[in-house]
Amino acid sequence: MTKNSSNVSITDQLEPNKRFDFFKAVFTLPVIIYALLLVFIPLIYILFLSFLKSDNYGGYLYEFNLENYGEIFDSTYLSIFLKSAVIGLITTFICLLISYPFAIFLRDLPEKRRNLIMKLVMVPFLTNSLIRTYGLITLLRKNGVINSVLLGAGVISSPLALMYNNLGIIIGMVYTLLPFMLLPVCSAVAKVDQNLLDASEDLGAGKLAKFFRIYLPLTLQGAFNGSLMVFIPAIGYFFIADILGGGKAMIIGNLIKNQFLTARNWPLGAAFSILLLLFTFVLVKIYQKIGGNLDELGGG
Amino acid sequence: MMNRYSALIKKIVFSAIVIVLAIVTILLAVRPHESEDSNQKTLNVLNWTSYIPTEVVKDFEEEFGVKVNYGTYSSNEELLAKLTSSREGTYDLVFPSDYMVNLMISRNLLEPLDHGKLENINNLNPLFLNQQYDSDNVYSLPFLMATTVFLYDTTVVDRLTSYKDLQNPALENNLVMLDDQRIIIGAMLNACGYDMNDVHEDHLESSLEFFNKIKPNIKAFDSDSPKTFFITKEVDAGIVWNAEAILAREENPDLKISYPAEGFALSMDNYTIVKGAKNVDYAYLFIDYLLRPEVAQKIVDEYPYISTNKYVESLPEAELRQILENGSYVENVGADIKRFDKLWAKYK
Repeated sequence: MTKNSSNVSITDQLEPNKRFDFFKAVFTLPVIIYALLLVFIPLIYILFLSFLKSDNYGGYLYEFNLENYGEIFDSTYLSIFLKSAVIGLITTFICLLISYPFAIFLRDLPEKRRNLIMKLVMVPFLTNSLIRTYGLITLLRKNGVINSVLLGAGVISSPLALMYNNLGIIIGMVYTLLPFMLLPVCSAVAKVDQNLLDASEDLGAGKLAKFFRIYLPLTLQGAFNGSLMVFIPAIGYFFIADILGGGKAMIIGNLIKNQFLTARNWPLGAAFSILLLLFTFVLVKIYQKIGGNLDELGGG
Repeated sequence: MMNRYSALIKKIVFSAIVIVLAIVTILLAVRPHESEDSNQKTLNVLNWTSYIPTEVVKDFEEEFGVKVNYGTYSSNEELLAKLTSSREGTYDLVFPSDYMVNLMISRNLLEPLDHGKLENINNLNPLFLNQQYDSDNVYSLPFLMATTVFLYDTTVVDRLTSYKDLQNPALENNLVMLDDQRIIIGAMLNACGYDMNDVHEDHLESSLEFFNKIKPNIKAFDSDSPKTFFITKEVDAGIVWNAEAILAREENPDLKISYPAEGFALSMDNYTIVKGAKNVDYAYLFIDYLLRPEVAQKIVDEYPYISTNKYVESLPEAELRQILENGSYVENVGADIKRFDKLWAKYK
């Protein structure tokens, strides 16, 4: 008995950790394999590729060179980066403008209605974004729904140019990326302490003062979180620029796509991709620096 | 104590089941699809999207009892990537365009064709044979030809025959162009009096200047379905492929097609058999079948490109000659492709 019990006590002291690790390993293994195979290895491949030389036929030569990174500083490409950033910033700003009033409105609703409205916001986004983008064409084009209604009602005398320009790109980006802003902003606004709002009202704060002195400072993290998740895709979503911009505007996403598909220059495309990754990495670091939680980037 | 052990055993059994299931799933997923029956005659074809009507393929399968695995691609580069990244013998019959035939020959990816195995080879119009990219048709035989054309609404513009006409202020924000750097830069080079494969820096620069005068008139670049822009009356003129132009004209009889006077692009897609193909005999059978006049007719009825079959209703011989003379193929420019790519970014 004594032997037995001492045995058990040893296993009790030593095993739990080991056992825990074993099961943990079993259940995380698929995720690790998945990440390794589909994220890590391709990334290493892209990094490796970015230092090679193109053979001009879609293949590459195993010759080390830094030329691809030098190309980044070409004025033609720099202007594309700038344009992408401007489109990304405008998209982010509009998403913020829409999200805040919506979040504040939602905060005061009873929970049931709040959940219903959130569901209504999310449902369209279960459809593939490419299909929704094509759907926007029927609304925005010259003889589309919006123009025919406005023309019919006599509001405008000639069709508005809603797509095949930068406006079209921004409409498409905002429409596609809005939920990534709505979710973090709504959750941040919902967490604001009611006592603070009551106190400010007692002290005579108007709506604007309440927004700028309470909501905004307390939800900055949520807003930055959302901005990150809107801005980064906005500089890469080439299909929106192609479909709604009429292929006239090139953003980083198109530039990378072109290197892989039409210019047959995979190494240069890889170098641009690495640049985009570094840029994203820097933004995430800034986010962490101002106190952001990485877990919240996962899904708001 | 027993409880603790049995709980441990339960956990181990449970994890074992999970692991086994995971492994089985992975194995099932990566196991290559083997054909149900090894005696089944198959042919692996890779062709452009929207090029051969499904009905034509089905008729072939029924007539010869050969199952056709029909895959598609939307650019020559995609075809090349698919061929070079797959095991030899994955594909039998592919349809590369002119410059890609040339490139594939140089990379030893194609099997020489035995013309003797094709009974219907004489149905080919000799006009389309012996083109520069494969001068004796050793590796390829012409299938369909596309040309870029002007398409315009005669109620808006009365004349569109030269690239200069595209600068017409009446066409402001009213043009659609193919989203293809070689074709559009080539057209602008033609407009300036140069060859569309010219890579001289000054010539490329002047093509950009010419293009910038047209730019305010461009509404969109689109290669997928430029005809839609005409059908929905989004634009009134543009540079598109001939088949798209004909399909758009069927919807809107006010549209007119013309050939740019300074030159335009030709693109010839070809029958080629891939090196190491496993079903060579069926590939010849399929080519021979597609060479039949009635089959060739069915194809152009649905996708109105220029047929290479002399028994198919087509343009008059003199006009075909004129097209071949005035048009030119996109050529492989090697490392200079980078210049086109950078210039394209400036165009946009």
